[in-house]
Amino acid sequence: MMKLSSHYSKTLLITASFVLLLAGIAYYTAISYITNNELDRDLTEEIDEIKGYIKLHNHLPDPVDFDEDQTTFIKTNKSHFDRRFFDTTYTDPKEKNSESGRAVEGLISLNGQNYRVIIAESKESTEYLTQIISIITVALMVLLFAVMAISNRFILRGLWKPFYQILGQLKAFNIATIDKIDVGDTRVDEFTELNQAVMLMSSKVRTDYQNLKVFTENASHEMLTPIALITSKLDTLIQDETLSEEQFEHLNGIFADVSRLSKLNQALLLLAKIDNKLIHEITDIDLRQLIEEKLLQFNELLQNKKLEINADLHDEHIQASRHLIEIMLNNLFSNAIRHNQSGGTITIVLDKGKLIFSNTGQEKSLDPEEVFERFKKAKTSEGSGLGLTIVKNICLQYGYAISYSFEVPRTHAFTITFAQK
Amino acid sequence: MLQISFKISFVHLRLKIPLKLLIVEDEAGLRQSIEKYLAEDGSICESCSNLQTAKEKIALYQYDCILLDIGLPDGNGLALLEYLKASGKNECVLIISARNSLDDKLRGLNIGADDYLTKPFHLAELKARIMAIIRRKLFKSQNILNYDVLSVDLMARQVKVNDNAIYLTRKEYEMLLYFVSNKGKVISKNAIAEYLWGDEIDMHDSFDFIYTHIKNLRKKLFDETGKDFIHSVYGMGYKFS
Repeated sequence: MMKLSSHYSKTLLITASFVLLLAGIAYYTAISYITNNELDRDLTEEIDEIKGYIKLHNHLPDPVDFDEDQTTFIKTNKSHFDRRFFDTTYTDPKEKNSESGRAVEGLISLNGQNYRVIIAESKESTEYLTQIISIITVALMVLLFAVMAISNRFILRGLWKPFYQILGQLKAFNIATIDKIDVGDTRVDEFTELNQAVMLMSSKVRTDYQNLKVFTENASHEMLTPIALITSKLDTLIQDETLSEEQFEHLNGIFADVSRLSKLNQALLLLAKIDNKLIHEITDIDLRQLIEEKLLQFNELLQNKKLEINADLHDEHIQASRHLIEIMLNNLFSNAIRHNQSGGTITIVLDKGKLIFSNTGQEKSLDPEEVFERFKKAKTSEGSGLGLTIVKNICLQYGYAISYSFEVPRTHAFTITFAQK
Repeated sequence: MLQISFKISFVHLRLKIPLKLLIVEDEAGLRQSIEKYLAEDGSICESCSNLQTAKEKIALYQYDCILLDIGLPDGNGLALLEYLKASGKNECVLIISARNSLDDKLRGLNIGADDYLTKPFHLAELKARIMAIIRRKLFKSQNILNYDVLSVDLMARQVKVNDNAIYLTRKEYEMLLYFVSNKGKVISKNAIAEYLWGDEIDMHDSFDFIYTHIKNLRKKLFDETGKDFIHSVYGMGYKFS
């Protein structure tokens, strides 16, 4: 994985190098062509000069007459061949080293004898030009690399800054908090557009979420009245003792169902309230004392199921809503009792900022991911399926960590870690 | 001694006088159910569905207890509490509200309500609460509740039969009080469970423990009086008579 800017520079570098290389080649070819032409014209002139010289003096000129050009005359029997130009090596007569050169081969005749004349000229000056072009090309490429690296580091990074700001805010986005996503003005159209889109999206998501929460609360609230009506009518109905046993049985079932509906409704309302952070009051809670009270309160239910209690409680104070913490403990107790087998044990440990509720139960681990989800419950459970969700949401509200673990053969444990003071 | 017996007879007398109740509730169905349930033991129930009528009625008559819904069509029921306070009346007030809100509860209790009941509730619970408020307010807890041969000392939380104390556990005592408040009525197991455990403990599906408590209470009462007060009604609930 690379950053977009790296991808961008990489592509740019490859294309730029390629173009520069092509340009270099083109320069080289063009310059070679032009200088060769120039040289060839020179060489043609030289041959014409030689011809003129022969006409005038009627003998072959001495090699020294041709400056630094090397002229060779070779007798030949051929009476005709085409004049040709070719690359050759040229040996500097003074410095005695080989250089590349350009030569022409032509035919001249003197007193009926044909001569092949070869004139070679140094190409050193053009070679030098080519070298300079190559160096410039390479230098340009290096410069390009350097400029890109620098611009990448300083200019492009600045250019991308709004993007990383938006990204940072998106990462930190929490649907439940009210702060809006806004990175201010950018001078880049795309980022301004992105910014606007993100702002629009986040505010829409937030509004939808708020509406959903309000809806949940209103819906649960509206359901209260009909449930209250049904309950009161049932209470009135069972006073009628002319009802048959079978009718009472039906009523009994209806009672149980209405009771469940009512609990469910109550749990939903509570969840909505916790989610909407409507419970603010905070007091200092002596958790140890509260758990001991709850132990007394649940005593009969515990005895009823012949559950053994192991409590290892140390002093622990937390700052929270007593109402919510009581609900949390109630749910933990209810859960530990409900899913226990007769004669099982419940272990409660309160120590070092941790509260652990563990109970014996089925010989199979629950899914740690799903156990706190709404309406995730065992098929056999008579609970609302919201108890542990409420516990988790209460923990969330106060920043406590909660986790579930399973220990072979049949111990299910819930650990709540209170925030460090 | 004379004074004490006078007091007991006074209490006895006072509770026998039919209670006069005002129900302020805008939900007609609920209003009728409450009226019917409470009127069956001779209490006089009047009812209205809005704040305005309630104020008029309160100005005209004297009630023992007012059942007050908070969400009324023409305003917040708490306004009636303020009105009562302002006009120097001290009727017992029991708030019934769908708003299961701690704030409302505290506010209501702060401005003079005697108790707070959240919808949905069982009528037996409502009756028990009304009786408790009236006992508490009118007799300052120094009273003895008589039913048949049973006499319940509410202060000492003790039950006696012809001066012989019956030893009841806390839950059994509470249940007896609940039954006496709702005498002659069939009370569902759900209502008893909710009363005993409060509505915040979601364990109402296990009724075994109620059965155990009832069995014990029934036996203790029977052993002392030779009477069977608690009757089971088809596994539906119980009736105290």
